[in-house]
Parts: sequence; structure tokens; C-alpha cells
Amino acid sequence: MELLEKLQILADGAKYDASCATSGVARKNVGRVGNASCAGICHSWSADGRCISLLKVLLSNRCVYDCEYCINRRTAAIERASFEPEELAKLAIEFYRRNYIEGLFLSSAVEGSPDQTSERMLRCLSLLREEYGFAGYIHAKVIPGTSAELIHRLGMVADRISVNIELPSEESLKLLAPQKKAKGIFQPMRQITETIQDRKQIGSNFEKFSQTPLDYLTPNVSEEAGAYDLLSLAAAKGNGVAKKYKERFAPAGQSTQMIVGASPETDRQIVKTSETLYQSFQMKRVYYSAYIPLNDSPLLPALLTPAPLLREHRLYQSDWLLRFYGFSAEEVLDENTPFLDLDYDPKFAWALRHLDLFPMEINKVSLEELLRIPGVGTLSARRIVQQRRMAAVKFDDLKAIGVVVKRAKYFITCNGRYYGRGNLEPEFIKAKIPGLGVMMPETDIKKSISPISDDVQISMFSALVQSGPGFGKPLPDASVGLLREAPKSKLLLPKSS
Amino acid sequence: MKEKINYLYDGSFEGFLTCVYYHYYEDRAAGIYPFESYQDSILFRSRQIQTDAEKAAKVYEAIENKISSYALGRVYHVFLSSLPEKDNIAFRYIMMGFRKGGSLYSLHSDPVVFAAQQAERKVSFEAHRLMGLLRFSALQVERGDTLSEMLYAKIEPDHDILELLGEHFSDRFKNEPFIIHDARREKALFSQNGTWVIAPLDTKALPDFSDEELVYRGLWKKYFESIAIEERKNAKCQKRMMPTRYWNNLTEMH
Repeated sequence: MELLEKLQILADGAKYDASCATSGVARKNVGRVGNASCAGICHSWSADGRCISLLKVLLSNRCVYDCEYCINRRTAAIERASFEPEELAKLAIEFYRRNYIEGLFLSSAVEGSPDQTSERMLRCLSLLREEYGFAGYIHAKVIPGTSAELIHRLGMVADRISVNIELPSEESLKLLAPQKKAKGIFQPMRQITETIQDRKQIGSNFEKFSQTPLDYLTPNVSEEAGAYDLLSLAAAKGNGVAKKYKERFAPAGQSTQMIVGASPETDRQIVKTSETLYQSFQMKRVYYSAYIPLNDSPLLPALLTPAPLLREHRLYQSDWLLRFYGFSAEEVLDENTPFLDLDYDPKFAWALRHLDLFPMEINKVSLEELLRIPGVGTLSARRIVQQRRMAAVKFDDLKAIGVVVKRAKYFITCNGRYYGRGNLEPEFIKAKIPGLGVMMPETDIKKSISPISDDVQISMFSALVQSGPGFGKPLPDASVGLLREAPKSKLLLPKSS
Repeated sequence: MKEKINYLYDGSFEGFLTCVYYHYYEDRAAGIYPFESYQDSILFRSRQIQTDAEKAAKVYEAIENKISSYALGRVYHVFLSSLPEKDNIAFRYIMMGFRKGGSLYSLHSDPVVFAAQQAERKVSFEAHRLMGLLRFSALQVERGDTLSEMLYAKIEPDHDILELLGEHFSDRFKNEPFIIHDARREKALFSQNGTWVIAPLDTKALPDFSDEELVYRGLWKKYFESIAIEERKNAKCQKRMMPTRYWNNLTEMH
């Protein structure tokens, strides 16, 4: 089979994996080619508006599993192909040289057994690292059921590794992916978390990326046209020796993904699952993938059911609230609110449920409280705190600081004055800030699946929480990125609504 | 009080800093403009200054020591922008910095700081964007009997960000010679063995593509096509993230 054809088939099979991050690790070129930028770099955007930063492919789509939701399931009538590890490594390098990509995202269907598959993946990645001296970004997917030793070796060559949780509860997993066991998913996750933790404690000497500051006064400018003879330039192909490219286990951490809309879990259950994943496993990211019906199955939404894209969007917004705004899952969605408001973003919806906390005085409240104000983001909140050390922040300053004033003005006072011009009531504010006008909740799930109760949901994790000493307890620095130093404000926890 | 004048300089960063020097030691400046694009003003008389490396270095160090190295970086980024008022945005920012010192950084809502921050953001954002949106092609160079490859990329950025790419790419491809060509400003960044220099480029001297180049372009286009999910098509979002003015030089958009 031609390489072009293989690439088409195996990219097609990998595209439903949402992860595209290349951030979280900074590394100078310690090999022969490549480096990694901490902020991550996007290289293109495909027709669906998603960024392309990694060559995201399957090593093979010949699968022995038969997961209902998956395009590559054994019984699906699709074309099958596999890359040779050598072939894929070469392709990745050639793409990388041309700056098409930031690195490789390697996943695979289960061809033969999990260990066989992982070994082939490992061979491809080791080729990249050792033969090509590749020091760029690699994301490797762990096949559930892979042996601990192989997982460890994958972690040593990859920057980020991930095990997909696939579905938000064990019930759904049993129903839709009978060959994947919850244990097979959580065991590798746990192994990865523990390895990263252990290594952190030992500490590692590791070449950090430090940008040499430009000396603006002596820029490398030459006026002569012939400063560079093209021929001699081309001949200057260096032959640097690859040092050991890294000695860290998955320096960019681990991530996971779940499918939304293929099973009957509520948003509250999904957000709670994410919270547990962040706290217990120190995930860097949890990705949500709106289910697009690909297979005609009695257990799944009918074909042609539109993908719940807006729901996915709201879940990502909640995810940001968990990670950067100091919210807990319980706050994002309490017992009486099983689904996210599709009309309004979750922070706005939370604020409307807790109007007793507003208006907040911009010049007085803490950083944590500023972050709770709709229209104030992480950057603008920090700027407010910085600026008010010098002088009080005036209402007219807010726009330049980056606050979305037309949204925030109903929730704040500035130097004692309220600019909302009306009553602080949900109806009034909603009339002023129109939502998207969407009906909720989206219930396009077939009736054959009965909804899962909260108790069952919790049991998915209880097994693993009990399975190791001290495991499953929120790790001290697992809570949220921005607020890592500052404890969560007690004042903001809702008493009763 | 003596009347203010407009200072004109040769377009170099040192020239700009020399103007700032004269503002403090001789006539006060109403504005600073590159000589080439200056149109006579009826309000102020103008004076063209000679770029003086020593005077420039004094101002450079003063900004770094009396304000902050952060402010120096910001001034330089503003200077690289293509905004018509860039010199004065940077100049006002420096003046304010000498008054306020290190606390300048915290005054986000001040109009002078805000203008500088917005200009800086445009420049650094475009530099970051092009680290992704730049496409190299492999050229084939014949030298005697040996064939070797060299990478070449053409860009047409809004702002003069070429040198902001030097560090990133020369580290990434330290074993491979490459050229990044700013076609809009007719200059290029040449890199080999991890070092780089900016010089004019004679495009006629560029060799042809290597034999494999078109193969990999084809593969990349096929990948680009396959990775999009039909059910999620969103052309508006794609254009927002990747504005059409960059498409000219993107392999996958042709």
C-alpha cells in the first residue's frame, strides 16, 4: 500500500482524539533536531477549526476490540492499514523539518495484543529519539492492558502520555466497551502518576530551556548581499552528536479524554469525574470529545444525531473553572443542577445562582474573589491586583485592563459605585445579557439506557481510592494552576442556595 | 521654554535611541520619525540626527537600569512593529518610564502603557504565530559531485519579526542550514550550526526543490485534509485562527 493511502487511513482513525497540546515542557535542542517550547506552538488549523500541532496518527487501525462507539472497531467495514515503525519515524522527521508539525502524537488500535502493539509503538518512538536524535515533542497513547514495564519505557521516550478513560462511568464502559476494563484504564494511569511523583521527589538534573536574550543593540545584521554564499551555507550541514535527550519520565505529564453524549451521564457526573482525575491523578488535561455517531448501534444515539458541540464547549469552560479559577465541581454544578446551562457560560450561571455574593468591590476583594466575577479573567484579575497597589482602579480603567465591562458591570462596584443601573436580579441581568437562546438539556440519548445514579458514579473511583495507601487523596499541589499558593477563599463556598 | 522639535533618524534602533538622548540633553522632542517616511510639519521644525552608538548605548542602559529590562524588551518589540506611530508610542513609554521607574509595569490602564502593551502584543503574537505558520521547503544544492539539502521558507509578516525567529529555529535545526526569507522587507535570516545572521538575499541564486519535496508536500496536504472532521466543519473558526493573509505561504492551503 502506498504511504499516501496509509497516511489517509491512519490519520482518519486518529482524528477523534482531541488532544493537540504541545505545551508543558521546555527543552533546548539536546539531540540533533528539534526542541520544545513551553507555551506550545500551533502549526495549522484544519477545516473544522481545530489546531494541528502534532502529526496525529494511529500506528495501526487493525483492532481486536469491538467498542461500540469507535470508528476502528473490529466489526466496522473500513479500510485497514498499519505503518511500519521505520516508515512513520521518517515521515515524522520530514514533516518536522518542514515545520509542518511540532511533534508526533502516536496512538494505535490493538493489533494482536496490547503488549505487541505497545512494543511496535515503542520501536517507532525509540527510532525517532535515538536514530534521528529527535528532541521535539512526543505524545504517546497507552493501550489499556499494556504491561507496566512497557508503560515505563514509553514514558521515558514520550513527553506526555495518556490513557483514555473513554466514558465517564464504569457502567457505560461495561456496556459500550466490554473488552476495556476500568481497572485496565486506572492501573496505568496510577502507575504514571506515581512515577511522576516519585521522580519529582528524587529530582532530576535536566537541561532547562533558557532563551538567550537578544542584544538589541548589536543585531546580527549584515549589509553585504554576498555575506552568505548559498553553496557554502548548504555545505555547513552540522553533524552534532545526540546527547541523551532527556532523563525524565513524561515531563509534560499525562492527560486523558472522555466521550460526551454517547452515554447517559449528566454534566454534573462528568465534571465530578474530571475533578477526581485532576486531583487524584494530577492530570494536566482532561479532554472532552462530543460524540459523533459513526456506528449504527442500538446502544448509541442514532446516526445523524448532531454532535453535542455546545455541550462540549460548556464542559471545557467548566474545566477551566476547575483548573484556573478555583472552582470545585460541586460549585459548578450543585445537586439541583445536573446539566450545564447551554444558554450561558458556567461562571455566569454560577454567579446568577449566588447573587448574594455580589456586587463585589473591585478595589477590595481578594484575587480569588475577583476570579469569580463574570467578565474578569485570570489575566485581568492579576492586573487589577497589581495596579491597585499603586492607585485605586477606576471604572474607566477596566476596559484597558482587559475586563469585559458589559458583562462585569452588573456584578461589581468600583470605588463604591454600582454601574449596572438596575436591580441585582437574575431576570434583569439575563435581559441585559442575552444568552444563546438554546433549549436545554440536550437529551438525545436513547431510552434503552437508564440514567446512572450518582451513587454508581462514585463507585467507579471508590475501588481505586481504596486500592493503595494514601492514594486517591487530593495531592497537595493538585488543585488548580493559578491558585497553587493561595488557599481557596472560604467565603465563596455557597452555604445554601 | 525652548520650542519642541521633531527628530528624524535613519530607521535603526540605535538611531531611535539617539533621538531619545537628544530629547534629554538638547532640544525637547515633539515627536520622533524615521527620515524616509517623514512629511514636513507646519507645527514643528525638524532636525535630522546622526546615529551615535555611544549615545544610544547610554539610553539603552538607562532604560534597562532605571525602568526594567522588561520595559526595554517592550520598547524593542514596539519598535519592530509596523504601526505608523510606533516611534512615538515607544518614546512616550520611555518618557513615562523615566518618571515612574519600575512601577511602570503595573500601570496597565494608563493610555501610554496601554498603547505600548497593545503594540508589543501584536509583534510578539505574530512572531509566535509564525513559529507555527512558517513552512520550509527542501532545496537541492549541488556542490561538485555531492548533493545536499537546505531548507528555505518565505514569509510576509505584518511586522518586522524576522530576528525574533532566529533563536527558536537556529536551535531547533542546529545541524541543518536554512534560510528564512522576509519577502516583504527583502531580507533573510541565514542560519548554520546554531548561529544566525540577517542579510539581503538574492532570490535568483536559490536552487531548485529537492526531488522529494513535492512528495512530502502531497503527503502533508493529504494529512491536512484527513484530519478535519466533516461533522465539525467551521470555516469561520479556521479563518479566525489562521487569517487568510498568511495563506499565500502555506503549503496546505493551495
